[in-house]
Amino acid sequence: MNDTTWVWQYDQRIPSDPKSGVDAIRVLLEQLEQREWPAKCVFGIHMAMEEAVMNAIKHGNKRDPSKHVHVLVNLSETQFYACITDQGQGFNPDDVPDPTLDENLEKTSGRGLMLISNFVDTVTYNDVGNSVELVKHKQV
Amino acid sequence: MGQFECIESYEVDKVSVVKFVDEKVMDPGRIEQLGKELLSLTDEETKPNLLINFENVRFFSSQAINKLIVLDKRVKAGGGQIRLSNLRPEVRDLFNYTNLDSVFVIRDEEAEAIDSFEQD
Repeated sequence: MNDTTWVWQYDQRIPSDPKSGVDAIRVLLEQLEQREWPAKCVFGIHMAMEEAVMNAIKHGNKRDPSKHVHVLVNLSETQFYACITDQGQGFNPDDVPDPTLDENLEKTSGRGLMLISNFVDTVTYNDVGNSVELVKHKQV
Repeated sequence: MGQFECIESYEVDKVSVVKFVDEKVMDPGRIEQLGKELLSLTDEETKPNLLINFENVRFFSSQAINKLIVLDKRVKAGGGQIRLSNLRPEVRDLFNYTNLDSVFVIRDEEAEAIDSFEQD
């Protein structure tokens, strides 16, 4: 069981528009900077959250204004945790083509999932594929 | 006279050098505008040579990367060349992780990047 002591939490259902996603992420970034998380960590969390939230808005909810994205973020002194859930049909991450292959390099999609996994420590999708958990530990 | 909102542009040795106005290139609306402004640099150029200088860029979203990919295709289709320079380590990592450092020619400094353009 996770006995981490969370010192800050963000728990909001945001509209399915990119501007709302950016605003939600800004709130998180302000907290990370106030709590003096290392710049490289903040960059990585920012990148992963940007991709996860935008994926939920654009691909999960198809920007449907009747749908929302649930953004839950917990911060402890040493750990970042986020759970982003959309109201879409879900997907199988294994079905996404590898964007680093030569034939996919110049495509303008498919890069987000890979960036998420490169910038946080763990990425876990639920069975449906409409919810993702991100964890990153503060590097000192 | 300023015609751009999201970029600054000047010419060095027949290379159009572009810098970003925003330190954090992440706002969806600004990125759309950025994409239009970057493409406009190729409108009147035959064989456009562009250097994108990332000085002061602290964050660059994947949507912004997509705009660069579109720009890259346009530049190369016109027989031109494109270079990137002055990337902070974290931003440089983006291109590394995505293998896009095999698509874009990246140099540490602007002067070095300008020198790397192949002459006709």
